[in-house]
Formats: sequence, C-alpha cells, structure tokens
Amino acid sequence: MPVEYDESQLDDLTAADRPWQTVVWNDPVNLMSYVTFVFQQYFGFSRRKAEKLMLEVHHDGRSIVSSGSREEMERDVQAMHEYGLWATLEKADD
Amino acid sequence: MTEGFQPRRRGGAVATFSGFEADLLRSLASQLIELLRDEAAVPTTAVDPFEALLDFSGPTNEPEDPVLARLFPSAYRGDAEAAGEFRRYTEAQLRSGKAATAGAVIDTLEDAGLPEQLDEEALTIDVELEQDDALAWMKAITDMRLALATRLGIEEGDEERWEELPEDDPRSHVHDIYDWLAYLQETLVRSLGG
Repeated sequence: MPVEYDESQLDDLTAADRPWQTVVWNDPVNLMSYVTFVFQQYFGFSRRKAEKLMLEVHHDGRSIVSSGSREEMERDVQAMHEYGLWATLEKADD
Repeated sequence: MTEGFQPRRRGGAVATFSGFEADLLRSLASQLIELLRDEAAVPTTAVDPFEALLDFSGPTNEPEDPVLARLFPSAYRGDAEAAGEFRRYTEAQLRSGKAATAGAVIDTLEDAGLPEQLDEEALTIDVELEQDDALAWMKAITDMRLALATRLGIEEGDEERWEELPEDDPRSHVHDIYDWLAYLQETLVRSLGG
C-alpha cells in the first residue's frame, strides 16, 4: 500500500472520476437496421433513441452511445465488438 | 432460393434453406472458426485458477490478418499502450465468443438435417431459432459479412463498382454471397422486431 502519492498517482486518481465515453464509428458493412437493433438490445434504448444514434453514426461518421467509468466503457466497447460494431472509448473531454 | 427469416410465433425466427444454401452457411461458419483459432494470437489457457490469474499472455498487438484486425479493432485510438492492455484482457474471450456463435450456426444446420456431405440436391433445411439462437446467428452473419467485406475491399458507397464487375470475375460471385447474407440479416433483424 503506498504511503504517499506522487504526482502521477494523483493524476490517476482524478482521471478515475472523469467520465469516459463509448464511440461507435461508421463502417461500410453493418446494416442500419442491425445497428439500431444492437443499440436497443444491448443498451435498452427506445427505438427512437437507437435510430437517432444510428443515424448519427451514418451521417457524422461517429456517435457517442454511452458514458461512465473507464471500466464500464471498456465493457461496452467489448460488447460492441462482440456484435461486430466498430467501437472505441475515449475521455469525455478529448 | 430462401425467402429469408420469418418471425416465429413464440419469439425467435424461422427460415427454410436449400441444401446448397445451408451448406454454404456451414462452410462460411467453419472458415470463420478456423481463422479465429489461428494460433498466432491465441494465448495458452491455464487450467489452474492460480496460474490463470498469472497468465498475462494474451495478445497486445493488433492481429496481422486484416479480417481479424476488423473483428478485434483497437479500443483506444492513439494510445497503443491502453489498446494493448485492453486487447490482452479481451481478445481471447472475444475470439472464443465469436467461434461459439459460428459454431451455433453449424449446430443448428446439422440438427435441422444438413448431412456432413451434401449429395442430395433437392434437400431443404428448416431452421427454427429461439431468441438466443437468433442473436447468435445475427452475430455470426455479421462476422461473415465483415470477413467477406474485408477480403473484397468493400468501401462506403462503392455499390456501382461491384455491379459493373463481369460475371466471370470471382469477386462478383463472392459479392453476391455478401449481398445474400445482408438479405438474411435484414430479414432476421425484422423477424425479431427490429
């Protein structure tokens, strides 16, 4: 157990509180209906919200689909990869 | 030719495939499993729970095969170290999950009567999927499409390029299969209320 924190550890501590987000990127393969379905199925979004996010992916090239702790976002990214969607996570202020 | 999936009354979906179509799906699923089991990036699995906790041998680099690189993309852009750590802890699990969903497709087809060697041309295969199986099929079809798209080099908005290919170009045939899988996927999503 560390008895004192050096500066980099303090950075880590504050960074842990900062929200992270899961980003889904556009790809030329996945069908719009499938992407919408995955957003509803995995995140439990309404059809309306899922469609809105899917269209963001389609038109803007990316959409933020969830935010939270780094660990939670890693779980979401892993789930998106399970579904074959192209997802990454990043710090909310990036 | 199959009409794709229809909703099943108690949830899930049903479809009827010709023997040829069922055999094609099995072959695509098998190829996917073989690629996923490509030993290069699969860590050794320790049986002892203590050893398992100390087993950090998961891959940290992006797979060299472009299909695998698409199936397991980097989770962090511009942070190779974080991406490597994520990969080390997730890729083996993602690989076995994808192999399992592809395996579920093969099991369904064989349980529905697809013989090991297809020699009866008139054979039809009736497939009935519970909700969970339907999700596995959806994921497996997605992975097959991602694999074919990567091999073909499909890009956003390039439909015309594929339509213009001469029929005797082997890529034209592969692209037809890719399109056919899209049709299956679309009908499957719709059958589940998507």
